[in-house]
Amino acid sequence: MNTTKLQITIRFTALLLLSTSASLCAADAPMRLNPVPGGQSKVRIEGTSSIHDWQVESRLIGGYLEVGPGFPVEPGQAVKPGKVDAKVDVFIPVRQLKSVEKDGRPYSDSMDDIMYGKLLEPANPRILYHLDELVLKEAPQGTNAAYVFDATGQLVVAGVTNKMSMPVEITPLGNKRVKITGHTAVKMTDFAIKPPAPAIALGLIKTGDEVKLIFEWVVGQKAAAAER
Amino acid sequence: MVTMSETENEFNRRDFLKGGSLATLMAMLGGVRLFAETPALPPAKPVGPKVKCGVIGLGAWGREILATLGRLPQAQVAAICDTYASALRRSADAAPGAIPTEDYRTILDNNDIKAVVVATPTHQHKEIVLAALRAGKHVYCEAPLADTLEEARDIALAAKAAPRQVFQAGLQMRSDPQRHFLLPFIRSGALGKPAMVRAQWHKKQSWRSASPNPEREKALNWRLSQATSLGLIGEIGLHQLDQAGWFLDAQALSVAGFGAITCWKDGRDVPDTIQAVVEYPKGVRMIYDCTLANSFDSDYEVYYGGDAAVMIRENKAWMFKEVDSPLLGWEVYARKDAFYKETGIALVANATKLAAQGAKPAEEPAAIPPLYSALEAFLRNTNELNAAIEDFISVFGSDDTAALAEHIAKIHRSPAAGYLEGFQATVTAIKANDAITTGERIVLKPEWYDLS
Repeated sequence: MNTTKLQITIRFTALLLLSTSASLCAADAPMRLNPVPGGQSKVRIEGTSSIHDWQVESRLIGGYLEVGPGFPVEPGQAVKPGKVDAKVDVFIPVRQLKSVEKDGRPYSDSMDDIMYGKLLEPANPRILYHLDELVLKEAPQGTNAAYVFDATGQLVVAGVTNKMSMPVEITPLGNKRVKITGHTAVKMTDFAIKPPAPAIALGLIKTGDEVKLIFEWVVGQKAAAAER
Repeated sequence: MVTMSETENEFNRRDFLKGGSLATLMAMLGGVRLFAETPALPPAKPVGPKVKCGVIGLGAWGREILATLGRLPQAQVAAICDTYASALRRSADAAPGAIPTEDYRTILDNNDIKAVVVATPTHQHKEIVLAALRAGKHVYCEAPLADTLEEARDIALAAKAAPRQVFQAGLQMRSDPQRHFLLPFIRSGALGKPAMVRAQWHKKQSWRSASPNPEREKALNWRLSQATSLGLIGEIGLHQLDQAGWFLDAQALSVAGFGAITCWKDGRDVPDTIQAVVEYPKGVRMIYDCTLANSFDSDYEVYYGGDAAVMIRENKAWMFKEVDSPLLGWEVYARKDAFYKETGIALVANATKLAAQGAKPAEEPAAIPPLYSALEAFLRNTNELNAAIEDFISVFGSDDTAALAEHIAKIHRSPAAGYLEGFQATVTAIKANDAITTGERIVLKPEWYDLS
């Protein structure tokens, strides 16, 4: 082998190694999924009171989901039960939570103002969630079935942090988009929120301490969310 | 008798009447159910930061706006503007700390000021409003928007092209809770088949302000010259005409008018007394008169239907039923007031709640002026829109402008007249004034109202 041929072979081998290495790195690199616009996400809080049930909603759920190679981002992807590599930070802008009728029509500006006061907005303009651990309970039963996880994390409401666990379902939608759904019950008093009791002529409206958080969050790789 | 099909009305008469009678029945049984259905939540601290405002134009109405903003916790008047120095001085006490200026551009150049209220003479609106929108300000523009169709259209189109800014037309009745309480009542067909509308505005006053010199006299009394004024129908009647079209859910078809200077022969060429007939679909006509010559019976609107009439005076309303009209139920228990030989059934927003609370008429809460409600809506909508844009961008970034536009279009806004309502009311007022000054009936072409 003459010098020229040797040089070409070395260069080719180096290029191949570099390429393979880059490819391996890309496969191992975490994938960041951001909120997808279009009104597909929704958070809903349901509560009770001495006069009627109430509910508030928002379509804005911010944050990101960063996943490793073992995370189901495509339908039918094989994933072993157990802890998965995922980082999640979520925020919900408090001002976008609006009281609604059961059919979704706006309910009351006064109730919104009471809620914002109780959530200590503007000092705490966001409800925050940070994931500590995500564990796949069992493999899904079908190609389009949701993956059921146990999520453990920290919820910050009105500046008060509580550790919480809840089941979440993750459904790959294709094109590196996933839908994350779940619900859990929390108590206002756990977040140092005294349940609202606005005065009316016949006495006080008593609001139940426990509320139900329901969420549906669609994230994908293509949308670029603003860093904060 | 149900005269309007339920499919063509957003309000269902049967449901409305059923709700009313059930509400009253429940109120008589203790009122618990009523409160459960519509809780009387007390006003809470308004959301959002104070909106820094500039008020441009400090005539009598501009000063009223200034005083009203002073009572609104969401408002911070940061600057006031008038080309007349003494108007600025007179307004200074009502806006402590506000920057006084004779040049509105000083306000538009101030990035801390997010919103402006334009209360200058009508013919000066266009230049200021367009500049304010270009400067990114939220704009509350007094109605009429302009004194010509072209300028009104220019303003409305500029507002339409600025969806990230609030534009509110100064049709304050559109924000009035009492009117919103009456709207479903009238649109649902509770009055029976609509027959006609009658409205008036009567005041003994010259409309002329004293001025220190001839130049100032012309500027100050712009409403008395046809060159700069839409007259009584444009400056006063506009609000009542707009309300009629709103309540009837119809655009006017034609207008005929008359006008004369009967009392104030002081060199003005704007009539001090006018009459107009405005035609709406299905043969419904509005008879309107307005005068500066006599104050008898002040101002009111009456909506006549086959079963009942509703009279609106300021923030109060009464229903006068025909003897052969169906029993609604709740009116049996409602408060009644005598009007000569008639008995008016009081239509009061939250009346059943008040009744359940044992409130007597004298204990009713003071009526909130429509201007207060309108400016409150403007400030709240400004904060809502700002927050919606800011929060959307924090979640999704700013690249997807189509999604942002869709998000903005869906946000909940307090009731207020937008650019379209302001434009259409202005078109009707301009044409009604044309009819009055020419004495001719004018057919109102649909394309005049179209902004697409």
